[in-house]
Order: sequence, then structure tokens, then C-alpha cells
Amino acid sequence: MRAVIGGYLIRIERRADLRWWHTTLASVLAIVFSLFLVGFAFLRVGADPLEVYSEIVRYAFLSEFGLPQTINRATFVLLAAFALIVPLRAGLWNIGMPGQIYAATLAAFGIAYAFGAKRSVNVQLPGELIIPLMFLAALAASAVYGAIAGFLRGRFQVNEIVTTMMLNWAMLWIVAHMIREGGPFMGRTAEGEGFTLPTSLRLPQILGLPLTVYIAVALAVVLTWFLAKTTLGYRIRTYGESPRAAEYAGINATRISTLVFALGGLFAGLAGYHYFAAVPGVFKIPKNYADFGDFSFYGLITGLIARNNPIAAIPVAVLFGGVSGGARFMQGKLRLAFGIDYALLGVLMIMMVAFQALAHYSVQVERQAAVPRPQLELERGESRVESPRH
Amino acid sequence: MPLSAQEESDERSVGAARARSAGRVVLEARGITKRFGTVVANDRIDLTVRAGELHAVLGENGAGKTTLMRILFGELQPDEGEIYLDGQRVRFRSPRDALRHGIGMVHQERKLIPAHTALENIILGHPKTGAILNLREAEREVSTLCERYGFRVPLHAKVWQLSEGEKQIVEILKELYHGARILILDEPTSVLSPPEIVKLLESLTRMAKEDLAVIPFITHKLPVVLEHCDRVTILRRGRVVAEMETQHATEQTLAAAMVGREVVLQLERVQVPLGDPIVRVQDLWVRDDRGLFAVQGLSFEIRAGEILGIAGVAGNGQEPLAEALAGLRPVERGTITLDSIDITHAPVLERWRRGLGYIPTERREVGSIPTFSLVDNVLLNYHFESEFSRWGILASGQARELTERILREYSVVAAGPNAPARSLSGGNLQKVILGRVLARKPRFLIACLPTHGLDVGAAEFVQRKLLEAKQSGTAVLLISEDLDEILALSDRIAAIYEGQFTGIVPVSEASKELVGELMAGLRRERV
Repeated sequence: MRAVIGGYLIRIERRADLRWWHTTLASVLAIVFSLFLVGFAFLRVGADPLEVYSEIVRYAFLSEFGLPQTINRATFVLLAAFALIVPLRAGLWNIGMPGQIYAATLAAFGIAYAFGAKRSVNVQLPGELIIPLMFLAALAASAVYGAIAGFLRGRFQVNEIVTTMMLNWAMLWIVAHMIREGGPFMGRTAEGEGFTLPTSLRLPQILGLPLTVYIAVALAVVLTWFLAKTTLGYRIRTYGESPRAAEYAGINATRISTLVFALGGLFAGLAGYHYFAAVPGVFKIPKNYADFGDFSFYGLITGLIARNNPIAAIPVAVLFGGVSGGARFMQGKLRLAFGIDYALLGVLMIMMVAFQALAHYSVQVERQAAVPRPQLELERGESRVESPRH
Repeated sequence: MPLSAQEESDERSVGAARARSAGRVVLEARGITKRFGTVVANDRIDLTVRAGELHAVLGENGAGKTTLMRILFGELQPDEGEIYLDGQRVRFRSPRDALRHGIGMVHQERKLIPAHTALENIILGHPKTGAILNLREAEREVSTLCERYGFRVPLHAKVWQLSEGEKQIVEILKELYHGARILILDEPTSVLSPPEIVKLLESLTRMAKEDLAVIPFITHKLPVVLEHCDRVTILRRGRVVAEMETQHATEQTLAAAMVGREVVLQLERVQVPLGDPIVRVQDLWVRDDRGLFAVQGLSFEIRAGEILGIAGVAGNGQEPLAEALAGLRPVERGTITLDSIDITHAPVLERWRRGLGYIPTERREVGSIPTFSLVDNVLLNYHFESEFSRWGILASGQARELTERILREYSVVAAGPNAPARSLSGGNLQKVILGRVLARKPRFLIACLPTHGLDVGAAEFVQRKLLEAKQSGTAVLLISEDLDEILALSDRIAAIYEGQFTGIVPVSEASKELVGELMAGLRRERV
């Protein structure tokens, strides 16, 4: 597209290749623009936007209570993002994070329950044996729960989006059954929550953060390497780019789609284990379990904004983890209308996704001169003039 | 090769020929220049098209045809130069704008909606079909167009049911119905069988007589150009190297002008002593996507050092046959053996390990992954080999080395082994695919339309490599819709029609006429 405004030629053209700084810049601009937009909402309810934002930042990133909360939430979002990214690299959509998260959580708490953890918070149990068991059970259960959708997709071409969403509902009702009054995992207070994990079965911490946080960060690196350098990663990418080329190359569709969903489920399961069995102050299945299901979808947005890059997902997850906690705190402290924190988050997400799309275009402003100069930056892909079709 | 003095003078006499020509100039492009970065895709190109003429633009891939075409129908804006329509200077802002001025474009890839009928596709987007669809009136108008130009196409058939040739006609009709007076066609002959090409060109000639200007852009099929077109403009490296009337040209001069050197149009066939049968296919039955039997009881064998050419019009079962042999499509009945081992139901990888090599028809959809680097594309045929995958980790050094070797030995024009496949031209991409498959030293090679859409130079190269593979003892199954290619390369020719062989003849007994009739199902030999 081109337009002439006041002697200047403005061209907007699609970029041939997108570099990382394009998307980074787009994200930063998106944040600035959203803060500007939502500022009007804050003005409308009588709050000073600058005060609001500094309040959020101070709580989420600079306070003693807020920072660990930000990191723990970010870890949850990050792991949920991995659950999207791995299947998406194979061209498949995992919308089943809530189901996979609770499959893992139920399995972990099931192990604890089997060893009599429900009796008392202070019951002494051999943690060095049971904690790994809980951990492994969580991963296994979520991997299997995820793999169902992948297998159905690979073997019978059943749409994975529909399957994973249905599995989410199935799992949410199972959780409801398990923790509500009369359910086997019912807590002692009978407030519709699950039982609290005994202190002896809680995941150890390093520097005040549960081990799962470090695992998640390490996973970002390992996953990037796995997808880029291993044979399996190559097969996943091949299948994701072109299922027909993958078939030609002898790559088994059923195996790949089952594998990526098992992995995706496993990462979601890790998120579940992290938040309900490792994060200080939780250690149980809370009664607003459906909210945590929704929260896992932040991971979905994160994966999309990070353009399927596990390492790029880290800052995005930190942003969402921080803003979601910080905004809630600010809302309480400044006594603002309920839900304005969600408004901020929602606008942020929409803008970041929208700006990602805009990052595909370059804008060039030129003085309209008689002799057009060669445009070096433009349409680099066009140098393949050899191709008969564009 | 520089043009001879005779042809130079022909070029100069073009001006005189123009003066004599009766048709008025409808489209004139003057000094069109377009740069992409440092590449000059079009360098001061002049093109003059008259009403009533069939004016072909020839050039190898990369000569700048596509760029010129995109400029003429408004998708790109030239950096310099002007376009005149009926003497009026025009500037197109978009393809829609160009169509409003009467310039229609028929792309190489189809832009139709498969689930709609031909008629619905033709009238789609026409201002008349704004709110109320008057199919009956539209049908009358479209039928008139068909009659006038001799097009035969079932207007009420869904597009997915049509052959490639019919789909192309639908696109042409669509442009005409939307008011095109000048029709640009991108490689119109590339998807058609010989009889379809003749029919299309007859219709185009009729259109040209009706005061429409038709500009086909063509890379290959030179004989067709000579026979049907009035005038050609030849591009090479972004410049016009010649403009001549076809009556002054020969196939040799056209090819030489396009390529810039003498081209061998005749390949030397070397007879090698035939070895043992490598592949045996017995009573093979295969279904297509619709569940119908596309391959009906085919039996054949290919010996080491032999090329069996399958001649047939597109859609007569060649594709399902190749896919069944490669393991991409289930076999309903019958057996396939490779080196006396039954591989009828073997998985794809097992076949590759036993010595299958497969060059699929769809280079960009199946044979390669456009966004992947060339190294990753080469790995498509090696990721399962232990030398290329140690402890589950790709041996990238090994893969890179192999890719570099292929790029060198096949003189592939590419930025390097890490260039994405989409940056390669069709010919160069095909060289990479061929190179990586042949580097496996296959016992049995299936080559589907190996030179389809390639320019003269690249096609010649690919054909030479196929002959080399045969000489080294590979059994080759060559599937092609280009009868000349089949005749030039094969030792035996099997004509396929509606999923059955209508004859298998040794090349010594095969004439173009005989195989043509077998392909069309007009006669049957004992098989």
C-alpha cells in the first residue's frame, strides 16, 4: 500500500522476514499503547493512571510479597505456554491445559492421599520417597490425559481443539466431585476445598522459590534445543510445516501427534503440580478451581505472543504473572471498581496480539523525488526473481 | 549465444513489420524498470501488443517475466517507465484497477473455489451479482462467450470435478466475463496434455481474431509457441533480448535467445545392458481420494539400467500409482516387490531403506518445505539414517556437508546451504530434491513430472541426471505428461488411460502418433 501525503510517499509493505527485534519492539509498543488506552478507564473512575501503574510495578516486582507471587504465577503461565508451544510446532492446537493441569494435580494429591496425607497437616511422612512419586504421577497422568487428544487426532483425524476442550470439562467435573463435600479429597474445613498437603510432602524450596520455578526456566532452554537440534524435534517441525512432506519423509503422523500432546500435557501437568503442590501458601486444590483453568489460558496467549519460542515466552509470562497479581493488589489498595484489573489485562493481551500482526509490515516514509532510489530494505524476498510464481 | 546478423536485422525490421501490421496498438509498456534491492528484475523493458495478436513473452525462470506480468496487471508498481492503454497513459493501483481497464490475468496456480460450480466461480465478484444472483442470465452470457471462442466446459460441474485444463478455461472465462480485453496468461501450457494444449491455443487464436489481445508468458513448449503465436518478445536477465515474428524464428533460435547459449534439444540415449528385474508389480489396484479405483490391475517390471516411461494425460492414475509404490497410499489388491522382497504394505521408511527413491510431483508441497533451510530439506530423506542422527541428535555437520556437495555437483543457484527452500526457483529446487534422492543411490527411482515447469536449461540438466542414474544401474519409473520427454528418455513406454495400460511398447517401436493414440485411449495394444 502507498499513499502520498504532503509530498511524502508513505509505503506500507509486508516484510519478507521478521526479525526478533521487530517483534520485541512491537510488544513494547503494545504495552505502552495499552497503558495509554486503559489510562482513560482509570481517569474515568477517578484514579491517576501513573499512580496506578507505579503501584502495580511496586507491588509485583519490588515488594517482598509481590515478587515471589509474580514469579510463581509467571512459572504457571510459562509452563502452560510450553503446553501450547510444543503441539503448535507440530501444527496442532492444545486448548486442554485446564484438563491436563488437574489430571496432574489429582494424581499428585491421589498419591499423597494413598499414603494417608489427609489425616493431618502435621502427619510425618517420608517426603524423600513420596514427593518424587507425587511428581512422577503428576507428569504421567497429565501426559496420558494430553496424549488422548493427540492419538485421536493422529489416528482418526478427530479435531484436537474439540477433543481437548471436551476433556477440560470432563476433568473439571471430576475435580469438583473429588473436592466438594463428601468427595474423597474434601478438606477438613468442609468449605468446598481440597485437603491441605502435609508439610512433609511439600516440594523443597531454593531461595524462597519452589524447585519447579527453576525447572521451568531450564525447560525453556532445553525445549529450544530439543526442537532445533534433535531428530524428534526435527520431525515435529517437519510435521508442523507440512504434514504431506512429513508423510513423504516417512514420519509417522500418529506417533508425532501423540508425542507432542503427551509432551504438551506433561508441561501443563507440571504447571498444575507447581501451583497446587509446590507454591507456598496454596498446597491444596482451591475451590475456585475453574479460575485457575482460565488462568492457564494466559499461557496460550503467551505462547502466541512469543511466536512459539520457549525462551521468548519467559518475559511475556513474567509480564502477565506480574500484572495479574499487581493489578489485583492495586485495585484493592486504591479501592477501585471490581474488574478493572481484568480490563487492564485484557487490553494488554489484545494489543500484544494485534501488534504482533502489525510487526509483519514495514512503514517507509520517503520524500517524493523524481528519481526513485533502490529500496534496500524492501521486499528482500523478491530477490528470488528466478521463481516463476510468487 | 549472440544473435546472428540475420536475426539482428530481423529485430530491426520489426519496426517495419509493425507498420504493416493491421492491428492497432492496445497495450504498450515503455522502459519498464523494477528493482528489488540490488537486483534489477526488469531493465528498461519495452513491450508492444496489438489487438488481434497472440504475443508470447518467453524467458527462462528468473528472466523477469513474473515481475513484468505483475506490473502489467497492477500488482507491482514499476520504478520507472510508463504503460499506455490505447494510447492513454495509465497507472494501475491494484489488479482490480487493471481489470477495470480491461486487463485480465490468468495465474499459473488456480484461484477458484473448488466446492462451487464453474459458473458460480465465473460470476463471483462481478458487480452484477451484487445482491441478487441471476444465474440464468449469467449462464446465457457465459455460454455465449464459450460458443464464440470454442470453449467447452461443464458450467454446472463443481470445480473440484474439473480437469486442470477445464479449470484454466474457467479462469479465462472469468476474466472475459469481467470485461478483460487484454488477457495475460502465466504458463498456460504447463498443466495441460498435448491435445489440451492444442485446443487451448486454438481458442486463444480465435480470441485474438476477435480483437482481443492475448499475452501468454511461457518458459517451455517452444514448438507450440512457434505454431500458434504471432510474435514473441524474449527476456533474459531482465532485459528484452529479442522481439520477432514467429515466422522468422526456429525452435533453436528461440531457445538460444532465452538461455544465452546453444541448447542441446536432443539427448543422447545410451543403451546399457539390462540387469535383473528390480521392481515387479502385479495386478495392482489402488483407490484415489474419492474411493474410486484409479489404478486398475497394473502389472509391469523394471530391470536394472532401464527407464520405463509412463505416458498419459494428467489424472489417469499416474499419481496414485506413484504414491502406492512409494507407500503413501494403501494398495487394495496386488503385489509390489523390490529385489524380490514383498513391500506391498511396507511403511514408507522401510521402502527408502530398501532402496526406493521418490521425486514427487509437488515440489513445494510434498518434496520440500519452503520455510526450512536447504540442509533441513535434504534431511527429509536422511533423518532416519544412523549417520545423520546420533543418539537422537541431528548430525548437522554431516547434513551440511551433504547439502554443500549437492549444491556444488548440481550447480544449484542458492545463497548457501542455510537459504530457505522458498528462495529457490523451481529448477534449482528440483535439482536439490533430485540430488538428495540420487545421493542415496536408489535401486528403484520414481520420478514424477521431473521437468514440469522447469526452464529449458534446468530441464536438460535433470534429464541428463536421470540418464546417468539409469546407467549406474538404477531402475527408473518416469512419469511424465510431456510426450517428447518420455520418448527421449525411456527404454520402454507404457501408455496409461483411466488406470489401465493401453500398451507397453519398446521405444524403438514407439512413434509420437502411436503413443498419443494409446494415451487418449483410442487404441489398445496387447499388454
